[in-house]
Amino acid sequence: MKLTRFQLVLLIAALSGFVALSYEILWFRIIASATWGLPSAFGLLLAAYLFGIAVGSRVSGRFCKDDAKEGDTGPMRALAAFTFFANIAAWLVAPLFAWLAKWTWLPPLAGVAVAAGLLGSILPLVCHFGIAPDQKAGQRLSYVYLANIVGSSAGSLVTGFVFMDRMSTPQIGRTIAVIGLCLVFVMVFASGLKGRSLQLALAGVSLGAVIIGLTNARVYDRIYERLLYQSDFKDDTHFADLIETKSGVIAVTQDGTVYGGGAYDGRFNTSIVYDRNGILRAYGIGALSPKPARILMVGLASGSWAQVIAHLPGVESLTIVEINPGYLTLISRHEEVRDLLTNSKVHIDIDDGRRWLNRHPDERFDVLVQNTTWHWRAHITNLLSVEYMQLVRAHLSPGGVFFFNSTSSDDVQKTAATEWPFAMRVYNFMAVSDAPLSFDKGRWEHVLQTFSLDGSPAIDRSTKNGQELYDELLAYADTIKETPTDRGLEARDSVLLRTKDARLITDDNMVPEWRQLLRFPKLE
Amino acid sequence: MANRLFLYLLFTASGFAALVYQVVWQRSLYAIYGINVESVTMIVSAFMLGLGLGSVGGGAISKDPKRPTLLLFAIVELVIGVFGYFSLDFFAAVGKVTLGMSTLGTGLITFVLVLVPTLMMGATLPLLVSFLVRSSKNVGKSVGTLYFVNTLGSAFASAASVTLLLPHEGQRGSVHIAAICNLTISAVVYAMHRMTRSAAPTKTEAPDSEPAEASR
Repeated sequence: MKLTRFQLVLLIAALSGFVALSYEILWFRIIASATWGLPSAFGLLLAAYLFGIAVGSRVSGRFCKDDAKEGDTGPMRALAAFTFFANIAAWLVAPLFAWLAKWTWLPPLAGVAVAAGLLGSILPLVCHFGIAPDQKAGQRLSYVYLANIVGSSAGSLVTGFVFMDRMSTPQIGRTIAVIGLCLVFVMVFASGLKGRSLQLALAGVSLGAVIIGLTNARVYDRIYERLLYQSDFKDDTHFADLIETKSGVIAVTQDGTVYGGGAYDGRFNTSIVYDRNGILRAYGIGALSPKPARILMVGLASGSWAQVIAHLPGVESLTIVEINPGYLTLISRHEEVRDLLTNSKVHIDIDDGRRWLNRHPDERFDVLVQNTTWHWRAHITNLLSVEYMQLVRAHLSPGGVFFFNSTSSDDVQKTAATEWPFAMRVYNFMAVSDAPLSFDKGRWEHVLQTFSLDGSPAIDRSTKNGQELYDELLAYADTIKETPTDRGLEARDSVLLRTKDARLITDDNMVPEWRQLLRFPKLE
Repeated sequence: MANRLFLYLLFTASGFAALVYQVVWQRSLYAIYGINVESVTMIVSAFMLGLGLGSVGGGAISKDPKRPTLLLFAIVELVIGVFGYFSLDFFAAVGKVTLGMSTLGTGLITFVLVLVPTLMMGATLPLLVSFLVRSSKNVGKSVGTLYFVNTLGSAFASAASVTLLLPHEGQRGSVHIAAICNLTISAVVYAMHRMTRSAAPTKTEAPDSEPAEASR
């Protein structure tokens, strides 16, 4: 079957759209890890991408001669060359973020602009090659544009849903590059080259394919380790585990620290004795709620919190809503939390937390727990705004408690203390309710004495050290009477006074996400 | 020439407004339908399909040289601006009654929600390409230049959204600024259309028209 000139143009427009969007999706994943999901990073990446596309389309317009004649294949040769170099440049962008990680994530944006510039040159050239400058130019352009958009949508769907769910990042990089080189092959064949010129062109493209195939593993080697460790990356730096799904990347360091989408997401630990993840706060639910029978937890992460909560005295059911199914895989690989997946009290739904609440208007809980990620990450407003708190309120039983991580944000703490008549800060968490609220010492004592996980108590009080730790932890309930400290309890009035200059968070203003335009998060 | 440059400037502003809408609408729709990968893909795909279909519509309209492309462009910008101004309230109202739907249902609703404005946005490029090719007779340069200015506007919008608009104006203020852009463009293009008509009432609208052989 021989394609007409215009059909060939449509095919090229679609394939180039597929390749460009696929790369863009891959870059978004990389920059999310590099910046821990900083909102402005996505906007700046898109700006670099669009700026490159714009300049590329402008420059390529200069290759479109006014006196070109029907059947002139010159533009196709230029197109093949642009596409070849665009593909190589775009393939290198993801590793560029990793290689330059020690100098922050800003310099590689120039690489994004260059690669996008080369990719952006394709559309005008292909239009010039296949559209006659007559009254139907607009109509034909619309078909080419549609083909480009259909290809882009397909790239978004295939790369976002299939590649990212079944392949590692290096495999995705190589796959997109191969598809891009297939596109170049098509262009070379359509360029009118013959004899030795054709052989040379095909040999050049083949060489590019071989180089990519041979070097891909090395070029894409330990990208996420480089992004996380930055200047601390060493030759022997390796994650203990790395799970990539269409919903994101989960990494576990050798010391059991979990990173979701590049950002700190907790540590494997359920022990209040060896508390390296602030697990005291999970135990504290038993002190805050007089009857924590039905609990909803938004976000699962390492499962450590869920494991503790499921074993708190009085807990009858724990419903967990987690957006990334990769965490179930992670949990299944760690013995300390694995039985969460088979615990009859525990039910896990894979969904967006806010949407789940909206879709389950009749569900009521005694406690809603949310170990929220950093207050400055993209879209976190959806779980911290006044509107969200009103949604939470509608799902609490009478006397129910909403207990969530403020990640020490004054805006978050002020919003919580303003929106709810009863509130207190517990470490960096906020506990809020429509009913009187306290970190009750009697309930706290009961939790510390009766908590048991796999037959082991929370604290072995038979030793001197154990008894001292018990006394120290029990005294935590008294910190509400003391001058507030970062790690202690703080009453609502004190929170409101301290945060008087902060702002209430709404869906519209997204305050915490935009407090600081640029951040360069580093491993502590 | 001056007309053409002015059109490029207006098309830059049009690209600016379009990307501001895209950024804000995506955020608004994520808050309603979720930020999981299925919702995100549905929303992005709905945007793209709307733009693609709009492009075909714009192309079909543009093939008739008697149709006043400038007037059509002005109408398109007017519709985008009016929709944009009320868009967030509209999304919230529809979101309330469609929350329980499946992922596919969510995708269809999202598609319908953004259909009108994205159809209009998609139609702008072929309309203006058709308009400019009538005088330049060079498709590559016309597409390249229009694509350049429109995408440049979008690139500015992308940077401005995260550095100025969203941090200072929030979602509502940002879409209102975009809507003002569209309405201003509409008014200016309508004035250009009137001027072109009164200058050459019997001639087909074209910027700085000059005879040229069809060549590529």
